[in-house]
Amino acid sequence: MSLERGDDFASRRERLRAMSDEELHSYFWSLVDKITEPLIEEARTHTTPSIERSVLLRMGFSSVDAKALVAKMHERALLGHGAGRIILELAKSKGISVREAGAALLEGRYWEELPI
Amino acid sequence: MKLSSDEKIDIREVLKDLDKYCPRRKGWTWRKKVEDQKIGPFVYKDTSENLKNSVPLPAAHYFGNVDPQCDLVITTEIASGRFEDDLRRMRMAAWHGADHIMVIRTTGQSHIDGLIEGTPEGVGGIPVTRKQIRATRKALDAIEEEVGRPINFHSYVSGLAGPEMAVLFAEEGVNGAHQDPQYNVLYRDINMHRSFVDAAEAKRVLADGDILQLDGAHNANATAKEAWKVTPELFVQHAINCAYSLAAGMQADLIALSTVPPTAPPAPKLRLDLPYAVALREVFQGFRFRAQQNTRYMETDTMETTITHVLDTMISRLTPTDIQSTITPDEGRNIPWHYNNVAGVNTARQTLMGLDGLMEQIELKKDGIMGEEVREMKERAVLFLEDILEGGGYYAAVEGGQFVDSGYFPERRGDGIVRDAEGGDGAGTVIPREPDYGAPVCSHFGDNIYARGEGKACSDYGGCTLCDPSKIQYIDELDPEDNVERRLKRPMAERAAGLLRPEVERHGDGLVCVTLFVPDKPQIAEAAALEMARRMGLQTPEVISRRIMHPAEGSLFEIKGVLDVAVRRDEFPETEREEPLTDAEIEAWVRPRGIHVVAATVGEDEHSVGLHEILDIKHGGIEKYGFHCHNLGTSVPIEGVMAAAEETGARAVIISTIVTHADVHKGHMRRLDELARERNLRDRLLLVAGGTQVTDQLARECGMNAGFGRGATGRDVASFLVRTLRDEEAG
Repeated sequence: MSLERGDDFASRRERLRAMSDEELHSYFWSLVDKITEPLIEEARTHTTPSIERSVLLRMGFSSVDAKALVAKMHERALLGHGAGRIILELAKSKGISVREAGAALLEGRYWEELPI
Repeated sequence: MKLSSDEKIDIREVLKDLDKYCPRRKGWTWRKKVEDQKIGPFVYKDTSENLKNSVPLPAAHYFGNVDPQCDLVITTEIASGRFEDDLRRMRMAAWHGADHIMVIRTTGQSHIDGLIEGTPEGVGGIPVTRKQIRATRKALDAIEEEVGRPINFHSYVSGLAGPEMAVLFAEEGVNGAHQDPQYNVLYRDINMHRSFVDAAEAKRVLADGDILQLDGAHNANATAKEAWKVTPELFVQHAINCAYSLAAGMQADLIALSTVPPTAPPAPKLRLDLPYAVALREVFQGFRFRAQQNTRYMETDTMETTITHVLDTMISRLTPTDIQSTITPDEGRNIPWHYNNVAGVNTARQTLMGLDGLMEQIELKKDGIMGEEVREMKERAVLFLEDILEGGGYYAAVEGGQFVDSGYFPERRGDGIVRDAEGGDGAGTVIPREPDYGAPVCSHFGDNIYARGEGKACSDYGGCTLCDPSKIQYIDELDPEDNVERRLKRPMAERAAGLLRPEVERHGDGLVCVTLFVPDKPQIAEAAALEMARRMGLQTPEVISRRIMHPAEGSLFEIKGVLDVAVRRDEFPETEREEPLTDAEIEAWVRPRGIHVVAATVGEDEHSVGLHEILDIKHGGIEKYGFHCHNLGTSVPIEGVMAAAEETGARAVIISTIVTHADVHKGHMRRLDELARERNLRDRLLLVAGGTQVTDQLARECGMNAGFGRGATGRDVASFLVRTLRDEEAG
């Protein structure tokens, strides 16, 4: 559904002509902000497996473990809570370290007892 | 790890204890500009601090070997497939003035949903992994110490694993990164929602790590059918990434637009490209500019490419630029060869030094035709943005093929890139955050229950890796076959055995390039050229550049092939070679002393070219230092030479024996020595012989004070004379 259209710049520009350069620049940026606003809002309220793996990396997991943990959580539709949150809250509730909690989940333990 | 300038970088040392290595510094570094810097005979206007170690431009020896460094960061892109070979390439580039090393990723890494570990070999780049980054950073830390300037290490945060890659970069001291969700969408067909959601997280991590970001807009130049018509859209692509980056928490001064002058001659390049560069800088004030050189119109002729790149670099000086990126001149014909990284860097360095201070003397005429064109481009860009909004936003615009259309917007030709918002790689992987969503780490973007209160989000468990790097989990290798240790076996064994092979890309690859002109029609000439290369012993010869000089008179070919030859380095014992004195030092000593020199081409020899090159001021000979030269001409008997030496009170005699047969040249040298002794002149006279068959050792054996062979210059001879006479004078 790509559009074909001749160069109608001469007629379209008419309403922009009156703007000073400064006005044109700020109009440009206001349009850009309108375009990016819904995109950034989506990012604020959504997550992805890569984001969740990046959280686990930052919590001290290797890439191999982060990948396996996030994949298991994805299968169980848990990522909306945050992979890091699941592991941290599990660690707190069991009185173990974050790494131990992750290792336990990788071994298949505690999945039915997640504090979410 | 410490480097010594006369030793190769030790890859074993680089790989040692990598699990414990921490980068020495993090974040991006700009060059430090020095106003009105005096270097050698000049005062420079646009330079930064000098290097401790470097290879100056070839002509620098005329100016006291100065090596001024421009005020722009200079980038080189490196892509061999093996990081262990890239380290040497980086070191060479750094010695020539590069301080932004951009490592290209292997083909396909964008589509890998996760991180790669270890050191597998890549294609057209390397798989970016923690080990590879850490080893490279460690080597660069040593190289920056060696050259005396911070080196920015750069790679890519695109593809499906952007947030993880950003964390990896922040942890390991990578200083710059490409990050632009539009690149994923348009060129990698990665799902739009996934790209933008990932990008916000990645950008947040890069922002907190003070990592400079480049966008991906320049790719539209490289892919558009007519690159100069895609300019309105480029404003839009830059702007979307800039605005999105600011919203994710980046500072404008670490957001760089990746911009390319779109055309190349025979297009009227500056007339088209300059208004675009000016317009961009006006709209994007406050952001940084990374000027890339043109790749869209690169052919295989490296000279043509270089001239285009000089013009590109000139535009960088005419309009403010922060980073001058370079393209290797051979990118149009093969994966870049390492010496062409150096060539590309030198194109920028030489051009920028040549243009030093230019903007104090000229200014761009922004009213008139340039002003009109600048304004028109901006208005076209505004119309592009209005169209996006009218059509329902960014995703709808991409679905409608609005991007990378070959029309000059608002013209549309219907050939833009079309992507389905719900399709592409990674579709369906974007997940809404629940109200209790949490990410207990720093540098996280968006809703997060751990970021609501005071203090760090990671404080519940003692800190994340960005606060406590000791928590980073290092994996060495996962693949027992495809790794650096395996690849190093042959090179290390050959190096230990002292074997040397030619190379252009990887250790000992044997690749060489020969240049041949063949005087026939192009097709016949090419076949003949390939056959000649084969007969030279080149395996798998391939024409990498062809230029017709005339349809019937002949063509010029550059042919690459493998020369399967290894020579032992101990066949070439290192001899102490004294560096010649500088021109200034020679002249300062010679001129006040009025030293006479007698010279002649001796024996039955009418060839006098060599001697002229040593003596004549026109050829850069010793006359220019103030020596009084008495050239007796050709076929001069030895007796005549000695008589003239006596008569003029000369301190030196230079004889040339260019073409000799049997051992006639030896006889001439011995006779000269004997005659000088007979006449009691030997103590006063320095006897010097030169010629294609003469070596210093041979000449000394025949009673001379020195001998000069092929390639010797007047400066070499003058240096010898001054050093010896100076020592005598000093007693």
